[in-house]
Amino acid sequence: MSAYYTLVTSLPWLPEKMQRCRDLPISRIALDRRLSLLADEDKQRLQWAEALYHRFASRISLQPDQDWVKEWQTLCLKIDSAPLHECILLRLEMQTLLAALRYRQRDRTQAEHFRGIGRWTQRIQQHWQEPLFGLEGAIPYLEEMGKLFQQGLSGDLQTFMDDYLWQDLLRVERSEHFTFETVACFVLRFGLAEQRLQSDADAALTYFATLSDDLMQHSGIERQLEQMFEDFS
Amino acid sequence: MALGWAGLYGPMALGAIGSMIGCSLAGQAAAGALLETETGHGRYIGISAMPSSQSIYGIVVMFALNREMTPESAPGLAAIGLLCGLALMFSAIYQGRSCASAINVSKIRPEIFGMSLAPAAIVEGFAVFAFIFALVLSAGVPA
Repeated sequence: MSAYYTLVTSLPWLPEKMQRCRDLPISRIALDRRLSLLADEDKQRLQWAEALYHRFASRISLQPDQDWVKEWQTLCLKIDSAPLHECILLRLEMQTLLAALRYRQRDRTQAEHFRGIGRWTQRIQQHWQEPLFGLEGAIPYLEEMGKLFQQGLSGDLQTFMDDYLWQDLLRVERSEHFTFETVACFVLRFGLAEQRLQSDADAALTYFATLSDDLMQHSGIERQLEQMFEDFS
Repeated sequence: MALGWAGLYGPMALGAIGSMIGCSLAGQAAAGALLETETGHGRYIGISAMPSSQSIYGIVVMFALNREMTPESAPGLAAIGLLCGLALMFSAIYQGRSCASAINVSKIRPEIFGMSLAPAAIVEGFAVFAFIFALVLSAGVPA
């Protein structure tokens, strides 16, 4: 197991609370340049960890859930670091619980068709009709998650989940001493912050305006509209 | 007799090994911090040299133990020299790790720079104990 003294101290600071993260302290390109200090096998492990942790953000696919679960299980087995495995499992289990809540809300869904990953999947199927699958005593975050889900506060629910994951990653990052896990947890937190900042409503509106302006200019629609106004006047 | 010679050179050699590792760990951390900070570079490099003191203690103990090697003096030299050397080596390594942590946290919050050095200073204190008592006991080794 390599120790990464230079790499860990070269990483920028991310706040303790995710809400305080107003912008990224470093670009992804600059971060990747610093991550080149990782050993080859650790680079590969980090890629797997990121693929598992941040898959949901870019998941636009018609692939069935069963295939996703198989893929995740295969990738999970490749993560041989116990603390990192725990962090990733928490992420996947959280997503499984959210998926179960959403899936159950649909019409004509059956417990046996539900697919998930982690320790709770079987229990979810067995207690399908119970509000929180009978897991409220076993999972500390589930009650709040269920409440926000019932109220339809999707944004708050996402923030709550991200916050919880952020704290979990921060805990592991601080308990490790200049190891691969310190680096991996930082990179995963960086990914959470990146996603959160990208999903900012104002930023999305600005991006949409820029994109539509570009499209208008490139497609010539704007010129055609101006021509039409001139013709009418 | 061979162990006696090992005990004589041990504090110096083991202290130097510890200093090499300790300074390397702290130095690597300092190098990383240079990338991320605009100022205070000098103090990071300064901290990374902290584990070098164990080499100096080792040299002094070696000179204090230096005497004619006889069957009477060899066991005492071996015991004091090797144990003192090990204490110096481990203290240098762990001091290096403490210094690396101090660099890492003071990079984020420069105002806690002094406080973050306390663990490294405490480790240094134990190295000083090993050094001083090796000197005291060396007087009892037959010449």
